[in-house]
Amino acid sequence: MSPPVAVIGAGGFGRALAKCSARVGRRVILYSRSPKPMDVQGVRVTSELAELAQAELVFLAVPSPHVAGVAEQLGHHLDGRHLIVHVSRGLVGHELHTVSETVRALTPVRRLGALAGPLVAETLARGEPAGGVIGTLFPEVADAVCEALAGPTLRIYRTSDLAGVELANALGGIVALALGYAQAMKLGPGTLAVLATRGLSEAARVGQGRGAEARTFAGLAGAGDLIAAVAGDGRPEVAFGRAVGEGASLADAAKAVGAHVEGAKIAPLVSQWAQRKQVDVPLTDAVTKLITGGAAPREVLRELMERPGRAE
Amino acid sequence: MVKFLPTKPLRLPRLRTYVPRPEDPKIFWFNSERDDIVQEVVRRIVERYEDEEAAELILSDCAYHEIRRYEESKTEGAARKLEHWRSLIRRLGRMSYEGKHEALRGIAEDMAKDVAGNFDPRVYKFAVRAVPGLLTAAMNPSNIMRNLVDSGSRLDDLIAGEGPIDKIRHLSRRGTIVLVPTHSSNLDSLAIAWVLFREGLSPVVYGAGKNLFSNPIISFFMHNLGAYRVDRRIRAALYKEVLKAYSCVVIERGYHSLFFPGGTRSRSGAVELRLKLGLAGSGVEAFARNQVRGVERRVYFVPATINYALVLEAETLIDDFLKEEGKARYIIEDDEFSRLERWISFFQKFRGLDSACIIRFGEPLDPYCNPVDDDGESLAPDGRVIDPRGYASRRGSPVVDGSRDAAYTRDLGNAIADRYLAETVVMHTQLVAHVLFRRLVRVTPGLDLFGRLRHRGDVAVPRDELVADLAETRDRLLRLCDEGRAHASPAVRDMSADALLDRALQVWDGYHSRPVARVGGGAVIIEDPNLLLFYSNRIRTLAVDLASDDPAERAAATEIAVMEKHR
Repeated sequence: MSPPVAVIGAGGFGRALAKCSARVGRRVILYSRSPKPMDVQGVRVTSELAELAQAELVFLAVPSPHVAGVAEQLGHHLDGRHLIVHVSRGLVGHELHTVSETVRALTPVRRLGALAGPLVAETLARGEPAGGVIGTLFPEVADAVCEALAGPTLRIYRTSDLAGVELANALGGIVALALGYAQAMKLGPGTLAVLATRGLSEAARVGQGRGAEARTFAGLAGAGDLIAAVAGDGRPEVAFGRAVGEGASLADAAKAVGAHVEGAKIAPLVSQWAQRKQVDVPLTDAVTKLITGGAAPREVLRELMERPGRAE
Repeated sequence: MVKFLPTKPLRLPRLRTYVPRPEDPKIFWFNSERDDIVQEVVRRIVERYEDEEAAELILSDCAYHEIRRYEESKTEGAARKLEHWRSLIRRLGRMSYEGKHEALRGIAEDMAKDVAGNFDPRVYKFAVRAVPGLLTAAMNPSNIMRNLVDSGSRLDDLIAGEGPIDKIRHLSRRGTIVLVPTHSSNLDSLAIAWVLFREGLSPVVYGAGKNLFSNPIISFFMHNLGAYRVDRRIRAALYKEVLKAYSCVVIERGYHSLFFPGGTRSRSGAVELRLKLGLAGSGVEAFARNQVRGVERRVYFVPATINYALVLEAETLIDDFLKEEGKARYIIEDDEFSRLERWISFFQKFRGLDSACIIRFGEPLDPYCNPVDDDGESLAPDGRVIDPRGYASRRGSPVVDGSRDAAYTRDLGNAIADRYLAETVVMHTQLVAHVLFRRLVRVTPGLDLFGRLRHRGDVAVPRDELVADLAETRDRLLRLCDEGRAHASPAVRDMSADALLDRALQVWDGYHSRPVARVGGGAVIIEDPNLLLFYSNRIRTLAVDLASDDPAERAAATEIAVMEKHR
């Protein structure tokens, strides 16, 4: 019999993953610090992390600020037998460490992966057609994720560019924030397209500096995710950018969004990193200026547009 | 069947065969297992290509690459070998299933025999007695008798060993040690072999480029002291598989091994940071294979850095790096290593230099990058003992999985590269070169590397200023050392900045055919930026941490730090 699948985090995405896995016939242990029962056959909810050790594949579905804390706790219970796949968008610290690097440092687990792309919790939970990408160096991790989730309504692509998937997913948040802002400034579709395309290109440059492959940024984790954000998948970055663009203070915008806005957190970190590494990131610098309150929107836009032309 | 060997390796006659004693290291039994190891390698290769189509493909690939090689070769017998491979290609399509496997078996066996090393305890015992004498005699030919008698202690002063040596010795009794040092000189093997002997560690099996076997004396020692031959001219995929299978079988059987994961000597002088691990990765597979067979033998990877104040082949290496930057590197056949007068000059420079070479061993790791305790048990980040067998298992059972092990190997390459950075010992020549090179970058804003390297003899730094700069940079380095982020040689720690500068200039002067820097009119004048780049590259990753808050110095340090291509 297949071992159970573990899911950590009983937020919208964690519960959607649990449902998805139960739908393809797997037993699921869902961890939550304050467990609420879930009426889905095959899903058992627990507040004991130690119980997750019986699983082989563990999904980590907690917001990025909590990843380190959870990983540290998890590190007491897991070992080399386990596989961890996270779905968190985020980067940590001045060196832009990815979530998988954080998990690797805090747990003995080595077979790691990141599931990303335009995956929306509600769509997954309802079983509507969707697709995502698993980034992992280990083919067996990709196999395990497909066995645990893939079915008639969910296609999962795979890539060995784990860093690319994580960076595209996280850096895309900065572009999404810029797009929200631009929408609030009533900029037209052409301008939004330029922002999105060049923003992804910039994200790819940062990604390459961190060892990722540029083409991953044109895939589901990069372009795919950004298209979903613009099409209205409820990404907090877009809503945050729009609120700030409409004149709300940062605190008010964050309050209105009601969720962690990763893009706003990492933009200044990416700007500093890029300056150290001499990577050109004009859009991220612009977003950093806007959210740290250092510049007027029209002035930032003018600076962006007046830069000397360059090859695409 | 084709013969790959241009020369037959020399061995001592078996008049008085050495019978190993129980307390002897495992490698003393190597010769008795040698044929078995070759046969096991052949068996694995044939098994891997059981499928007829796969066997045909690998044979075609082999013939294609060998034909190309021999078409360009001017050596004696090349025409006969060329004809052999052409004949194989012609017959391949008509061969039966058995015929293809027979051909594969024959080629794999020839390759494995060519690769396989030899270990003669008599040669080993002779070498550890004689080599220090010969080396130290080379340093001081005028007093040859005294040097021959007193050579061991002199070599001890010259080459220092640091790190958890007792722990490594203990672990070598529990499992197989896979030693993975940095590689900057052909002297590395000799230096490390001496330190292993001196510290009571077992000799190791190691791969050496076939070009090193061209000198009959070096070839004799290498061949009889456990070296196996790696012929980089052979491009056939099958050859790489034979090498990998050979190193895997050797590790599985418990022979401590040494690999230079950087592949070749670091051309740029930098610590290698992008490690593919190559053959060293077979240690990961070896552990998994032993688990599948139920053999409880651990594998421990031991990173080490080999740090020289003076690099024998520095000029050739940096020239090659600059010439070949961005292109495929070629095999250097003729460099300082093969020229006796450079050896003598090199060792004469080493005279009186305590710790001219420092080998620093890092903490051992299991194949999955976990640290291990003093008993060799793997440790989780929280200090808990964990079972490494889990990593080689899927759904509770150990399995051999090439893709999985390739991923573990990549991970291990990163972990070892991190250890290299942390375990690098900064030598005085590197620190002086770094400070001078930083000056060069600072006074040449906007120039690219090659533009800067053209500044020969026209950048002068007032000596007082340079000494002050060096003193401050050294203080910052020592602070990094206190934080556990770097190590410094005794000279860097103890000498005054003034003396450090003098010693570096004195060590370079007269050994390198071009002066690196010279003193004139109260200033130090940069003469050879290439060599400065070579020596300073070793600590390039520390550049920003070693810079002061002065904006111009910081900008220069940032530029040095992002010279990504110099990895």
